[in-house]
Amino acid sequence: MLAQQLVVATGPLGRLLAECARRFQVWREWYRTTAAADSPEARATTLLREWLSPQQRAQFDVEGYFDVVGCDSGKRYRIHYGTSMNVHEMDDAGHSKFGWCFVPNRRLVAGDVMLAQKNRLGDVRKQRVGGSQQVSAKPNDVPRQPAAAY
Amino acid sequence: MATQIVMDHTGDTRHHFNADDTEALLKAEERFKALDFCRLYGGCFAMPPADAATVTRSFDPGAEETLFYPRLVGG
Repeated sequence: MLAQQLVVATGPLGRLLAECARRFQVWREWYRTTAAADSPEARATTLLREWLSPQQRAQFDVEGYFDVVGCDSGKRYRIHYGTSMNVHEMDDAGHSKFGWCFVPNRRLVAGDVMLAQKNRLGDVRKQRVGGSQQVSAKPNDVPRQPAAAY
Repeated sequence: MATQIVMDHTGDTRHHFNADDTEALLKAEERFKALDFCRLYGGCFAMPPADAATVTRSFDPGAEETLFYPRLVGG
C-alpha cells in the first residue's frame, strides 16, 4: 500500500525532476557554446592565445601556464593562469626561484592580465591567425616599474 | 582593415577601421589620444602588416593591429 502510494507520489516528481534535468542540460549546453564563449574570460583567453607562440599555446593548453624568456636578461619566467601573484622566475633546473607580483592598474580578467604581463616581460610575439608568419619584438625586460618579489 | 584592441573589463574591445579612409584614420587617432594611455595604459604594441610588433607611444597609421594594455604596477 505504502509502496503503491510512493510510486504514485514519486512518479510525477520523477518526471518533473527528469524534465528539469533535461532542461538544465539544454541550458548548460547553450551556455557552454554561446554565452560562455562570449564571456570576458573567454574573450581574454582567445586574445591571449592569439599572441602566444605555438609552443606557449600548447604549454598553456596542457599545463595552464606558459614560459616567457625576458629579452634583455634572458631569465625565464612562468606565467600561471590568474590575475595576481602568478608570475614566477625560474632557475636553470626549472624550479621557481621567487615570484613577481605586478598587476594592471585596472580590473581585468585573467587572460588579459597574463597577456599584459607577458608583453611587459618583453616577450612580444604573435603568431598571426591563419598564417605561418611569426613576429617578435624586444621592447623591454623585467618590470622596471615597482614590482614586489615574494 | 586595421584594428585597435583595447583590454578592458569585457575582455577586450575591438575597433576596426579602414586605414585608407582619411576620416576613419582621424577617428582612430582621436581614439588613441582619448584613451589617455599615459595615465591609464602602460603602452601599446603596433603591428605593421609584415614586420615585427613594436612598442609605441604614438599613433601609428600603418599598424595593422594595435594592442592597448594597461599600466602594470607592483602588487
